Amino acid sequence: MLVILASVHDKSVEHLVELWDSYDVRVLTCKELSIVGWRHYLNDSALSTAVVNGKKISNEQIDGVLTRLPYVAETELSHIVNHDRSYVAAEMMAFLVSWLSCLKCPVLNKPTPICLLGPNWSQEQWIYAAAKVGLPVRPIHRQSSQSNIINNAVDDVQRVIVSVIGDRCYGAVNDKMAEQSLRLTREAGVDLLSVHFAAYEKGFLFITANLWFPVDSYNISNAILDYFIESNKKNAAHRQRSPQLEHVK
Amino acid sequence: MILLWGVLEDSPLMAIRRALLRSLDLTDIIFIDQHNMLDTKVDLIVGPDIKCVLHNDNQITDLSSVTAAYLRPYSSDYLSYSKNASNIDNDALRYIAQVEDILLSWTELTPALVVNKPSNMASNNSKPYQSVIISTVGFKIPDTLITTEPQAALEFWKQHGIVIYKSISSIRSIVSRLTPEHLQRLENVCNCPTQFQQYIEGIEYRIHVVGDKVFACQIISPSDDYRYAVLHGQTVDIRPCVIPPDIAKRCKTLASHMGLSIAGIDLRCTPNDEWYCFEVNPSPAFTYYQEASGKHIDEAIAELLVKN
Repeated sequence: MLVILASVHDKSVEHLVELWDSYDVRVLTCKELSIVGWRHYLNDSALSTAVVNGKKISNEQIDGVLTRLPYVAETELSHIVNHDRSYVAAEMMAFLVSWLSCLKCPVLNKPTPICLLGPNWSQEQWIYAAAKVGLPVRPIHRQSSQSNIINNAVDDVQRVIVSVIGDRCYGAVNDKMAEQSLRLTREAGVDLLSVHFAAYEKGFLFITANLWFPVDSYNISNAILDYFIESNKKNAAHRQRSPQLEHVK
Repeated sequence: MILLWGVLEDSPLMAIRRALLRSLDLTDIIFIDQHNMLDTKVDLIVGPDIKCVLHNDNQITDLSSVTAAYLRPYSSDYLSYSKNASNIDNDALRYIAQVEDILLSWTELTPALVVNKPSNMASNNSKPYQSVIISTVGFKIPDTLITTEPQAALEFWKQHGIVIYKSISSIRSIVSRLTPEHLQRLENVCNCPTQFQQYIEGIEYRIHVVGDKVFACQIISPSDDYRYAVLHGQTVDIRPCVIPPDIAKRCKTLASHMGLSIAGIDLRCTPNDEWYCFEVNPSPAFTYYQEASGKHIDEAIAELLVKN
């Protein structure tokens, strides 16, 4: 079973479920954290259970999680009384960070304690990391002011978005761009990242990177699915037992 | 140059400042006073190199001269209730958030020693996530269940005899024992995953790791949460003590593994001499323990900042 952790407001997820219709794909939203059935045993994950699509399942049944939710916002929790919403949001966030980190299946991306999608880097941190791994960058200038000036705007040029999924790149116009995108992805310690470039006649310039990006294209959604299948095969080979995704649905 | 960030009524920050002034001049310290954030400007340029200039306190400081920083910033919620609250409207709060955001970016990028980097402090936002890290260095952690299932909580309670419950996020809650009076309220766990933990009997310790130094205190209190003992009419006695060298070493390894230059580590030693670790506080209010134990943790932190 593949689980997509998403916002109740994320409509693109329905499209992804349709594209993956030959697999057992289920969507998990924060509302399901208010359903009887969750058991997260810190010292014995084999006994742990989750609630997905209203049904209680064993953690062992999950073959992969795609996270589309950066954090638990109060707007996800309309079913919780207003007075308790901020506390419940913080608790649910803390829970998801721990639950996702303890899963043995591949999770895209592994969460950090402040962001379920991975490292919650600022634009400055992305620029610095990109420069560190050798990408050409335009320095960013941030200045405190009443109008919040952020200046690293690039001219009106062609933008190229490279989507990195595992060790594969989609959308790169050349090998160098692909290689450097992969290097930035490794530097960030993630497996899923979109890297944005401004393309010039003589080269390209790093603009930004995003941990959340559209997954409605056929190529991208297929690549994510392949990532889960291949990761499970590798894990299964490692554990010397049969791949679990072989028998989904 | 040493940078301090916070409010002067915060006793750990004040203690560090006092300790620093024993060996440094006032001009060697930059203080970002959160009560004066509206008069603070910051300018950050990041490319392959980092340049940050701070305008505050009628001074302009190039932050590349900073060799170490000690951070104890309070949330803007606190500031809006503070002594200068009358000056703080929504625009002002937005401006303060912006200044703090830029400064936080700088703390993540600077090669200076930052005590502690916000990203390294973040594990405190998920206690169970932190517990797993704790267990990797060899400390025991209590059996823990986080559940939305009242029946699971009951089974866990039955299995362990005495069970406590507490929050798992950074929002503080009073650690409480589950009692028969809670049975009716247990149904409420279906609203939000709730943490139950095996009660560990033993002697409580608070260990402060400061660089390669370890300060240990023993805490004697009948309360399940000694931080609130006095509020509940109970006693709390904090005494300096010595812990076994291997436990002290494990505390240092834990802090280092988490990227923390200073840490407040909560331990309990059972009658069978098993050492459990409950939590690592990345921004400990060490003065509470220092005043009771007489150990000069502030001086050790100041030394760490100066020596870097």
